[in-house]
Amino acid sequence: MSFQATPVKISDLADNTGEWLRGTGPESDIVISSRIRLARNVARFPFLSRANVKQKKELEEVVRDKIREAEITSDLRYINLAEINPVDRLFLVERHLISREHAGGEGERGVAFGRSETISLMVNEEDHLRIQVIRSGFELREAWKTIDEVDNKLEKKLNYAYSSRFGYLTACPTNVGTGMRASVMLHLPALGMTHHIEKVFNAVMKLGLVVRGLYGEGTQVSGDLYQISNQFTLGKSEKEIIEIIESVIPRITSYERMARKALISENKEQLEDRVWRSYGMLKVARMISSEEIMHLLSQVRMGVNLGIINDIEMKTLNELFIFTLPGHLQKLEGRELTSLQRNIIRAAYVRKRLEKAESLKG
Amino acid sequence: MPESAWGDKIMKCESCNKKHATVHLTEIVGAVKKERHLCEECAQSINTQLTKIPSPTEILTSLINQVAPEISEMSKIVCPVCGLSYLEFRSHGRLGCPMDYTIFRKGLIPLLEKMHGSTQHVGKVPSRAGREIIRKNELMQLRNELNKAVEKEDYEKAAELRDRIYELSGDTSEDQ
Repeated sequence: MSFQATPVKISDLADNTGEWLRGTGPESDIVISSRIRLARNVARFPFLSRANVKQKKELEEVVRDKIREAEITSDLRYINLAEINPVDRLFLVERHLISREHAGGEGERGVAFGRSETISLMVNEEDHLRIQVIRSGFELREAWKTIDEVDNKLEKKLNYAYSSRFGYLTACPTNVGTGMRASVMLHLPALGMTHHIEKVFNAVMKLGLVVRGLYGEGTQVSGDLYQISNQFTLGKSEKEIIEIIESVIPRITSYERMARKALISENKEQLEDRVWRSYGMLKVARMISSEEIMHLLSQVRMGVNLGIINDIEMKTLNELFIFTLPGHLQKLEGRELTSLQRNIIRAAYVRKRLEKAESLKG
Repeated sequence: MPESAWGDKIMKCESCNKKHATVHLTEIVGAVKKERHLCEECAQSINTQLTKIPSPTEILTSLINQVAPEISEMSKIVCPVCGLSYLEFRSHGRLGCPMDYTIFRKGLIPLLEKMHGSTQHVGKVPSRAGREIIRKNELMQLRNELNKAVEKEDYEKAAELRDRIYELSGDTSEDQ
């Protein structure tokens, strides 16, 4: 058993998308994706902040080999992050295959993932191993089932650092116990527009959950996209943590739907005008910044969900959120771009995608 | 209001309403400023109440006294495996190796309680560790049975149990 024989070219990935962007699955009008990650460390090795170059290298080799031996999926490929350039690493971050910390890290480290980009295994991130599963729509339970199986396969090969008192031992005590972070990415434009979003956050925080931006900890909220995840990892089982999130999400989605309905019944023309203006801007603009595009796409996405616009597929829109990010644009162009150049190419790319989408829809 | 020799207005103590107010206090509670005019005696009794509110220095001292045992007790501790000191951990928030959870246990427990509201893992158990727990439980049970067998002077059963205990505990030496 080995990883895919042909070395992965990041540019090959740029033509495809991860399955989690399909825009299908339960509640996918509001829930973009469900993600779970597990932090694991190998017993008898120091955590990475105390590991020397030699130990890091040894860890990278051991964990990478064991991932390969564990036969997780047949199409798993491995990329050594120390061997690729910063733009390629940025691309992988935008794709949610690695974390920003992993991209910006030092020394021997890598990532293994399958063709569907559902499973990703980060080697030498903050912990020796971080397993991640992302699925389209509201499917935390299925994500748990998958990640639990992957973890079971790996624990047969790797001797995890574990104690019966503290659970899975992690470099940062905020992850100890289950080592699990379960999160759901939500698109909440109407709650933002009607200024109800703060209420949601306050309620969510009381349940021990955290709200973050698109790329996790410390990232800004843009495009009305929010990630809701568990704060505590110790003292609750994986199932209990998932159940808490599962119980909260339907309330938030129905709140968002109510806000959308209210917007339609009270300000129908205004809402339609906003949506169509955003759509128009995407179709005609010659320069669009990354901040602006998130806002425009968010409005159009809501317009599609409300049936105001009928000629674009959800998959196309979800993809545009990711494909217009700086790393993706530079990969598509095959060269490094300044911010100004990116704004021009971003606008051109979106125009082309929307023309194609419209002609397909007929 | 009568005037004193110097022309100041003479006030009566607002507490006993008998003697002259010679002590003038200004209290600020939140944004409200309140002035109080008292005689020496009444002021004395109120003053003892006032001094009960700890001064900033006192607050700091008591804080240091609370934290000091943790710091003084833990500060000398260095993990023999990875070389990380407890103080380094407290300043960076990252542990150096799995063993730190044992070495820094005393300092970590209140910290984990604050972070997670709990200090006991109740989630997934890796099957390796699971096997270990099962084996320990089994050993415990066998030892109990052995004691009972010895008490009952059932030496045949005791010998059988002893062999099984040897067999089971023999496995552990290899694993640990």
